[in-house]
Amino acid sequence: MIRNWVGFYTLSSREIMRFFSVWRQTIIPGIVTTLLYIFVFGVALENRISEISGVSYKIYILPGLLMMNVITNAVANSASSMLQMKLLQTLPELLITPLSSLELSLSFIIGGTIRGFVNGILILSICWLAGMPILNLPLTLLFIFLVSWSFSSLGLFVGQLSDSWDQLALIQNFVITPFSFLGGIFYSIKMLPGWAMTISQFNPIYYAISALREATLGVSDASFITSAVFLVIFTIVTTAIAVQLMATGKKIRF
Amino acid sequence: MNDNLAIKINKLFKTYDTTEALKGIDLGIKKGEFYGLLGPNGAGKSTTINSITSLVKPSNGHIQIFGKDIENDFRFARSKIGIAHQEVSTDWFFPLEQLLYFQAGFYGVTRSNAQKRIEYLLKKLGLSKHRSKKMRELSGGMKRRLQIAKALVHDPEIIILDEPTAGVDVELRHDLWLYLQELHQEGKTILLTTHYIDEAELLCERVGIIDKGKLIVEDSVPNLKKLVNNSSIEIQLQKNIDDMSFLKKYKFNVNKNIVHIFTESPNLELPSIILKFSEQNIKIEDIHIPKTSLEDVFLDLTGRKIND
Repeated sequence: MIRNWVGFYTLSSREIMRFFSVWRQTIIPGIVTTLLYIFVFGVALENRISEISGVSYKIYILPGLLMMNVITNAVANSASSMLQMKLLQTLPELLITPLSSLELSLSFIIGGTIRGFVNGILILSICWLAGMPILNLPLTLLFIFLVSWSFSSLGLFVGQLSDSWDQLALIQNFVITPFSFLGGIFYSIKMLPGWAMTISQFNPIYYAISALREATLGVSDASFITSAVFLVIFTIVTTAIAVQLMATGKKIRF
Repeated sequence: MNDNLAIKINKLFKTYDTTEALKGIDLGIKKGEFYGLLGPNGAGKSTTINSITSLVKPSNGHIQIFGKDIENDFRFARSKIGIAHQEVSTDWFFPLEQLLYFQAGFYGVTRSNAQKRIEYLLKKLGLSKHRSKKMRELSGGMKRRLQIAKALVHDPEIIILDEPTAGVDVELRHDLWLYLQELHQEGKTILLTTHYIDEAELLCERVGIIDKGKLIVEDSVPNLKKLVNNSSIEIQLQKNIDDMSFLKKYKFNVNKNIVHIFTESPNLELPSIILKFSEQNIKIEDIHIPKTSLEDVFLDLTGRKIND
C-alpha cells in the first residue's frame, strides 16, 4: 500500500507538471486535429454522407474522435515519460528513492490519466460547441477518466519495455492507431462483415467509443452494460499488469 | 561488530548473461568511515554500489544498511543513502531548484522542510546564481554539482559517490574533495569509487582494491603501501662511475650515472650511503626517495596498472 505519501504526491505532481510545461506538444495538437475533423466532415462532407442511427455523420464521429485523442495522449504521456527518464538517466535517481513499485507506477499512471482527461474535457467542450449533445455528463466524464487511466497504464507498460523512440513509435503506429480506427470511430461496426464484427468485439477501443457514444448521443453498437463492465475490467487488468511489471524491475533494474 | 557497520555486504555475486561482474564480494564499512573502492574500469565498482541502492539485482548475496536488509526494509535502507551516479542525468523540463525539491519530495521531505536544506546546498555548491536555469543551460561542472546536491538533499547518513570527479576540472575536483572531507568530519559515512589514485590516498581512511569482480585486498592506505616492498633510493651522480663495489652491502643497479639502491628503510640508510659515496670521493648531483603509491600496490597485486 501507499506509505510514502509525500513521495507519491511529488512524483504525481512532477508527471502532471511535465506535460503542462510542454502544452504546445501535449494539449494543442488534439484540439487542432478535432477542429480539422469537424471542419472537413461538417462543412465539406456532411451533405454527402448519410446519418448513422439517426445521428448526423459529423456528430456521430465526435465521441470516437474524442476517445482517440484521450487514448493517444494517455498512452503517450506515461510511455514517453518513462522512456525519456530511462534514456536521460533520470530514472536511476528515482528508483533509488524510498518509493515502492506501486507508488512509482501509480504516479506515472496518474500523470497520463490527467493528460488524457484534460485533453478529453477540452475536446468535449469543442464537440459540445459544435452541436454534440451530452445526454449524461457524469457518465461521460467517468468513461473519459476510465479510458485515460487504463491506456495510461498500458503506456507505462510499453514505456518500461521500450529501449528506443522507434519501438515506442511502432506501438503507437501499428497498434494504437489501427485499433482506434477499427474501433468504430468513423462507422458503426454493424456496417462491417460478420468476421470483422467478431474481431472488433475483442478490441477495447470499440467498447471505449461505444460507451462514450451511449453517454453522449444515446446510441451505441455494444450494450451500455457490456461496455461499462468491459472498461472497468480492462482498467483493473491494465493497472495490475503495469504495477506488476514495475515490481519485477524488468528493463529498469539490472 | 555488526552494530557498528553502516554497510555490510555478504558474498555478493552478480552475473550479466555470461559475464561474472561480481564474484563474491564481502565488505563492511563502519559508521562514519571514509571508504574508497579503487579499481580499474569494469572491475565491478559500479555494480557493487548499484547493488547497495537496489538498481542492480544481485544474483546471490545479502546487503544490509545499519543492520537492516535492503530488500525487506527498502524504505529504511534507501532513506539512509544518498548517491551521486557516475552518469550525469538530464532533466529537460524543470529548473535546477525545482529538481532539488522533487528529489527531496521523493524521499518524503515536504517542500517547507526541504527549503532550508536546498538553500544551504545551492550556496555550498555554488549553484545559487543558477537556480532558475534548466539543465541544458548548465556547464558540465554545474551538472556534476547538481548531481551531488541531489544526493545530499535529504541529508543522508551514507553518501555514495561513483567516480564523482571523473571528467571534471581541477578546481571543481579540489572543491569537491574539501566538501567531502567536511561531510566526513560531520560524521557521514562515505563510500567513494574511483580509479584516481591520488583521490583515494588523500580522502579515504580505508581502501578496498577491486579487480575482476573480486575484492583483492582492503586496509588503510599506509598498511596497503607496506604490502609493496619496492623502497629504494635513487642517486644521480655527476658522472658515470664504473666501480661500485663499495656498495656491495646493498642490492643495487646502475643505469648510466643513476644508481638505484634497494633498502627497506631508505630514510635510515641514506646518511651512511652518502658517507660511502663521500669516502670514494664521488660527487652526487641529486638524491630522490620514490614514494610507494596505491598504483604500486595494485601493480604488485595484479601485475597491471590501474588505468591500463
